[in-house]
Amino acid sequence: MFDMPIDMDQIGPTNIYWLACVLIHILVDYMTDLFIVKWILAFSPILTVLVLMIFKNWSGSRAGAAGWFVSLITATLFFGAHPALLAYSQMKGALLSLNVLYIIWAALLLYNVVNETGAIKVIGIGIQRFSGDKSIQIIIFGWIFASFLQGVAGYGVPIAVVAPLLVGLGFSPVVAVAVPAIGHSWSVTFGSMGASFQALMAVSGLESSYLAPWSAGLLGISAFLCGIFAVYVYGGWKMVKHSLIAILIVGSAMAGSQYALAVSGMWTLGGFGASLVGLGCGLAVAKLKIYNQTSPSQARLEMGLWWALSAYLILITLVSSGVMIPSVKAFLGQVNLTVRFPEIVSLKGWVTKAGEGKGINLFGHGGALLLYSSVISFFVYRSKGFYKPRALTAILQKTVKSGVPTSLGIVSMVCFAMIMDHCQMIYILAEGISRIFGSLYPLISPWIGLLGAFMTGSNTNSNVVFGVLQQETAQMAGLSTALILAAQTTGGALGSMIAPAKILVGCSTVGLSGQEGPVLKTTLRYGLVITAIIGIITLLASLFG
Amino acid sequence: MDNFFKRHSARLKTTALLLMLVIPFLLHAAALHNSIFQVKLLLALMIGNMLYVMIWG
Repeated sequence: MFDMPIDMDQIGPTNIYWLACVLIHILVDYMTDLFIVKWILAFSPILTVLVLMIFKNWSGSRAGAAGWFVSLITATLFFGAHPALLAYSQMKGALLSLNVLYIIWAALLLYNVVNETGAIKVIGIGIQRFSGDKSIQIIIFGWIFASFLQGVAGYGVPIAVVAPLLVGLGFSPVVAVAVPAIGHSWSVTFGSMGASFQALMAVSGLESSYLAPWSAGLLGISAFLCGIFAVYVYGGWKMVKHSLIAILIVGSAMAGSQYALAVSGMWTLGGFGASLVGLGCGLAVAKLKIYNQTSPSQARLEMGLWWALSAYLILITLVSSGVMIPSVKAFLGQVNLTVRFPEIVSLKGWVTKAGEGKGINLFGHGGALLLYSSVISFFVYRSKGFYKPRALTAILQKTVKSGVPTSLGIVSMVCFAMIMDHCQMIYILAEGISRIFGSLYPLISPWIGLLGAFMTGSNTNSNVVFGVLQQETAQMAGLSTALILAAQTTGGALGSMIAPAKILVGCSTVGLSGQEGPVLKTTLRYGLVITAIIGIITLLASLFG
Repeated sequence: MDNFFKRHSARLKTTALLLMLVIPFLLHAAALHNSIFQVKLLLALMIGNMLYVMIWG
């Protein structure tokens, strides 16, 4: 098409138009062949979401839709997207979104079932009676309990459940969302029965005995950092200093138990077991003299603390049984909805292999377990007369009111992440980072994991998308594959605290729907600091390990 | 028009969410049957839906 003859003596408006078109085409082709231009174009949807949410205070749903448009335009113009590719990528996005939305809607329902009785307020007063020390409350709820919930459920449940509890304890909504978001992220890889670690093993083809020591080691260090920054978000360095003994004791217990479980082959219980040990230590530490100097609250409880907590006890019982008892797990897991996809090739030649999309385990899904807990809790509370008339209508209305805007944000963000994934855009982002840093690659490997989790809202997806890239880069550079993959999954786990999809979940449960920007700004700051520290540790380990 | 979107905000947002989740299934079916016209039509619907979410969501 560039051989069009142009008679220079007879240049008219039509010829000038064609000449301009050809020049622009050549320029665009040349520019998009430049890797840096490709990288900037691939980064543009993420940049759009970040700028709109952080600097323009757009809600997650509006920013997500804007990011979707930017990804659609750049993917079509520069990365070879075509209608069929867009169709399949949107379907994969919808399936992934449904997995997340199942949890969110059920968590919102559970929260409203509990809150309508006034139980959240009662739990807050009850904990204040147990320990009036704010740092201990942050440690127990925002760090240990959130990690425990990640161990048994995951997929945003820790933030969705803990954030309203912290609001009930008198923390501001922004702190209430940011603290569990930071606090739980270290336990993501070995939480949810080790789903993310399983994904890492699957894509790399490596054994748990080879991958587990470094992974558990880096995640153990992250446990301390998450605890420190969860406390710092609320009270700064002064409060970190005050709670240092508690952080060291609980952190050692959790990191140690996770390491022991992971290297002994019981990595499926890594997150759950570690946080259970941490819970015991946390309650013991709370009895230390230095943490009992603030007078516990003397406020009168409107209902018994155990009744207020009953919904969460039901949740723990059901989730533990549904995940850990093989016969129950098998019984609930009989209906698995999934869709098969053909091989998808972009116009630029990027191939996405044929396979099944993210399946939905209809009755054994974390969302289903939350739903059962909500229904049972509702009847328990109703039998005790804790509800006012027309409570059920109020519960459903409140659930829909906060669930819709959150869901809009999640679906739009997951869908644009899928467009990027199918057009090589995510791969280009990761490749660019690795090219720039060269021999300093270990420094940057957790950032690639973080990027994947930020985009997809999932450590598992991050490991699936970037696991092979990290493994190949490590082999080419002569680095320890186990160390680099450990950095990948640690970055992916830490990405949970900054993933807009998860922030949206937490915000929806504390009345911050549409105001996610300040929370994201907070978690982003600490998420980047912790990832940078993990990057430095990875680099040092690669040099001296 | 702005008043209309603001007045019916709750219902429209719920409809937009449902469309966001339903259209991909239709897109998938259309793509499997190689019906490019239907795929383009549904993509146009998806774009309109996202435009609504971006402006009034």
